[in-house]
Amino acid sequence: MKDILTIILRLTASCLIAGLIMGMTFVFTNKAKKANEHAREEKVVYSLLGYSKANPIPDSMGLHEIFRYVISDGETQSIGYLLPSEGHGEAKSFNFVRIGLDGKYIDSSSVSITEEKVKEQKERDAAVQLALGAGKAIRFVDQTIVVTEGDGRLAYLLGGKFPGFKTHIAIMLALDPSYSILGLEVMEHEEDPGLGAEIEQEYFKNQFKLKPFEKIKSIEVVKAPLPNEYFDALEGKVDESAAVDIMKQYSDQDIYALTGATISSAAVSSGVRAMTKKFAYRLDILDRVLNEQQIAVPF
Amino acid sequence: MANENSSFQLLANGILKENPIFKLALSMCPAVGISTTVINGLLLGTAVLFVQVFSSVTISALKKYIHPRIRIPTYTLTIATWVTVIDLCLAAFFPLAYAKMGIFVKIIVAFAIITMRLEMFACKEPVSDSFWDGLGMGLGFLVGMVVIGFVRELLGSGAILGYDVLGFKPLLFFILPSAGFFVVGLMMAFFNWIEVAYAQRKKG
Repeated sequence: MKDILTIILRLTASCLIAGLIMGMTFVFTNKAKKANEHAREEKVVYSLLGYSKANPIPDSMGLHEIFRYVISDGETQSIGYLLPSEGHGEAKSFNFVRIGLDGKYIDSSSVSITEEKVKEQKERDAAVQLALGAGKAIRFVDQTIVVTEGDGRLAYLLGGKFPGFKTHIAIMLALDPSYSILGLEVMEHEEDPGLGAEIEQEYFKNQFKLKPFEKIKSIEVVKAPLPNEYFDALEGKVDESAAVDIMKQYSDQDIYALTGATISSAAVSSGVRAMTKKFAYRLDILDRVLNEQQIAVPF
Repeated sequence: MANENSSFQLLANGILKENPIFKLALSMCPAVGISTTVINGLLLGTAVLFVQVFSSVTISALKKYIHPRIRIPTYTLTIATWVTVIDLCLAAFFPLAYAKMGIFVKIIVAFAIITMRLEMFACKEPVSDSFWDGLGMGLGFLVGMVVIGFVRELLGSGAILGYDVLGFKPLLFFILPSAGFFVVGLMMAFFNWIEVAYAQRKKG
């Protein structure tokens, strides 16, 4: 009996100490980790739009985030978009617009949340749930950034995740208003170094650059050697205007697969194809609904 | 029970005589899976080094309070705690490296070499000796990982530390996990050969 008590006591004490150490480290590191993630995302956003820290985004440009949710109400499902409404200065407000699976407008409600808090998923989920009322299950799906300059749209930035050769590949895509690709960045992957990991290389990911939407809809990979002049252009070895000319020449060409990593290459191409096609479809519906219902948005 | 070995001997023991990878053949799974480049080997080796040293010292310091029948759960808890600490710190302060290594750092919890050193050494010996033993074992693992990473990176992608040195890729096979076994096997043979040669020279 005495042994049982000692064992319980000592194990409990060990667990408490271990918990204390881990908890302290978590509190200590969490802020730095969040800041890192945010900084990286921001950097990717900047670079995809062709800006950097030294060459910041001009004030006339606006970044507006759209959050997409799936709402289940008993048997029926619908799609919900959390959109910033046309705000005046600091007091930005948000609207939650629901659209049925048939593409028809259902309803819209205003969501009270601040611009900082909307970035935190927990706070955002709670605010959306509050606006919808109880009894409906919501699930956050993805978020898109619409980049505007003055009154016109400049680009869309969308993140996506799809299966690669080993685990998931997460990418970020920049599209122009006609859904042609402006740039692609690989955010996360665990492909084999030297083989599938080459998807990070400029000469692979830049192949998607400047491909028109019409081509992206049916993009595939080809197992053929990458022409030398195209490689130089993709790697940025020639000056920018010449590189753009060469890339335009090849804009109707399928993606040249990486040597020894056809599956990773095909995974990225089909991932980009699916992301772009679905995004274009969804955004067209959202735009139509916003137009019909006269819902004002800043983009 | 005092250990008559000096701290230097304990340190050297982990690196040469009882090298975790080449001599004890422990924790082979990560050694083969991750050591595709020098940097990967270096990072994981460093993480293991920290966990080994911290765990050895913790167990050695607390050995009086650990009930002998439930020592394994205590070891696991200790290792898991330090792995979590390292994992969180890496994620916060070395995000670029962590992006590549993330899942492998968590696997350190199950590394045989760490538990084995706690069971064989730290639970019997004083804190200072355990520290040197942990440091030696950790360094031994680190050296092993870096050497394997060096061979595989050079032969597999023709580069060292990410810099292209050969200008071509000699054998793509060395990047794949199965090649890790070949490299480890060759290294083991090499280490044994050195030992045999040394012993013979001493005799003659």
